[in-house]
Amino acid sequence: MIELYRGLSPAGDLVIIEKLCEHLQGRSFLHINSTKAGGGVAEILHRMIPFLQSLGIDARWEIIEGDNRFFDITKKMHNALQGKEIEFTEEMFEYHYEINRRNAQRLNLDADMVFIHDPQPSALVDFRRQGSGKWLWRCHIDLSMPAKGICDYLMRYYEKYDAAIFSISKFARGRKRFEFIVPPSIDPISEKNRELTEEEICSVLDKYGIPADRPMILQVSRFDRFKDPIGVIKAYRMVKHYNDCILVLAGSPATDDPEGAEVLEEVKNYASDDPDIYILMLPPDSNLEINALQRAATVVLQKSIKEGFGLTVSEAMWKGKPVIGGAVGGIPLQIINGITGFLVYSVEGAAFRIRQFLNNPEMTRRMGQWGREHVRNNFFITRQIRDYLSIWYYLEYGEGRIIEL
Amino acid sequence: MAEINGFFEFKACSTVLISTGRKAQSIKELLEILKTVGPESIFHHTYQYFMKAHDLSYTNDFAQWAGESLEERALAERLSNIDPFEFQDIEELRKRLIQVIEAFLEEFPTPRVVFPGNEFYFNETITYVYPVGIRVYDLTEFLHAIKTIDAKCIYYHFYEARTRLDNSIDDFTMWIEHGLGEKALAEEIRGIDPFMHTIEGIRGYIEKTIQRRLLEEGGKR
Repeated sequence: MIELYRGLSPAGDLVIIEKLCEHLQGRSFLHINSTKAGGGVAEILHRMIPFLQSLGIDARWEIIEGDNRFFDITKKMHNALQGKEIEFTEEMFEYHYEINRRNAQRLNLDADMVFIHDPQPSALVDFRRQGSGKWLWRCHIDLSMPAKGICDYLMRYYEKYDAAIFSISKFARGRKRFEFIVPPSIDPISEKNRELTEEEICSVLDKYGIPADRPMILQVSRFDRFKDPIGVIKAYRMVKHYNDCILVLAGSPATDDPEGAEVLEEVKNYASDDPDIYILMLPPDSNLEINALQRAATVVLQKSIKEGFGLTVSEAMWKGKPVIGGAVGGIPLQIINGITGFLVYSVEGAAFRIRQFLNNPEMTRRMGQWGREHVRNNFFITRQIRDYLSIWYYLEYGEGRIIEL
Repeated sequence: MAEINGFFEFKACSTVLISTGRKAQSIKELLEILKTVGPESIFHHTYQYFMKAHDLSYTNDFAQWAGESLEERALAERLSNIDPFEFQDIEELRKRLIQVIEAFLEEFPTPRVVFPGNEFYFNETITYVYPVGIRVYDLTEFLHAIKTIDAKCIYYHFYEARTRLDNSIDDFTMWIEHGLGEKALAEEIRGIDPFMHTIEGIRGYIEKTIQRRLLEEGGKR
């Protein structure tokens, strides 16, 4: 499988992956998260698990199961970790723990390396067997300003992990000896990111009745208030005074996000009956559709006001599109302001930058090219696999700060 | 220390970031942490800055933060002017960084504070060094490799080597001089200031210099 990435990924990343896998041959690597569909975590695990297996690692991926009440609580936890003031009761925490306990009975938690993704399955660490492998908490959420109550609760479990991984430095807690920083990544050969033919792109546009001959502003994200879909519509309306354009807002439902339907309704109401706004609620596996929309777009937005990392930025940049993004979470790591796109702080800023791109095709092309190379060197799945294996190797065998392989 | 052999074996390095858990929201806080943070963190934020794709506005993370987050342009310029390769060890570099910041604070004693979330986060790294499976035996093969090798190899042999080798030179010219006996070519390549270029700029310079040397040699025959 690694052969598929030759010529795409930086060669050095592939070499070190092979070397690390030789050392870790036959060892078991378990990932647990809360959904198989929707969101960047699931997307990467879908590809990473077979990749690791093909190099001799015994990689597994398990899902924590829960009911609506559980996912309602964990969505609230997610929002509170991103700073929203939410009142939690002890019953809610007990229920979160209880569902984790039931899952611990159902799942085989034994592995040489266990990655627990995000807060939903975080309490599973209480059920780790003595003498089992290393346990890492892999947090994908913006933890820079969490609400206190939820933080105190999750710290009960956090202390029990051997190490943690955060997507960017500002999310780290400063509570452990080993808090690693590993940005997430995109997969260039997945259905969502592979090259498409003109026919494939046109066929998707036709399917949704989107005109191919007008400038398209696109935001791909879950229907979530932190992604500011209303702000995107406001920016589009400002642009519309000066430039002909259409707006496409495309998202997919996720089983762990019960608020999605409510936000979608708000967005539809706000868009009203504007025939140039296309709101698409795509099924969770609409990778080809998202790929085609990103390739058809003239300008891509990720106008988040809170963000874990915002991988849709890298997806669009890999397709040679300059991206306008909110300066939050991991977006500033991907958008080098003025070089691979623009960072914005307001609806007005987004509108202004959209107009710049629509009126300067040469600048749009140049920034798009820079962005593509920036993604190749920093945000491919092979870099993330390299980092995970490097951390595992270090925790098993590492001494000092320089390791000769 | 690079071995001087009849061949040159290309290696690369990659890093994994570790948070130190320490952050500064003003230049005064940055100064205080700089005095006590581990040398690994200073190494990462200065020498390893050259590993990253960057525009040439800044030459280390401290300068970039001062310029972009604090918007203290004068301080950013002064910090950018510190060439880490001039120093024999990290402690000397640390002293210089502290001197520059203290001098700035004497001029501007009430510096601003960044917005929450824009603090300077002190990190350090674990560095992994590995051969990439390319070994060359003469200048033509070396040229061929330089054109295509991963940028991480150029960082390792041209930048990082200066912190490993006693006399602050790089692996490439060490081998070209002592392995191939091409002293003049080695000196010409050493003429480029690594501090003033990106990795791709260095790649282009080495490539052109060797191409010219090979053309001269071809002309003599």
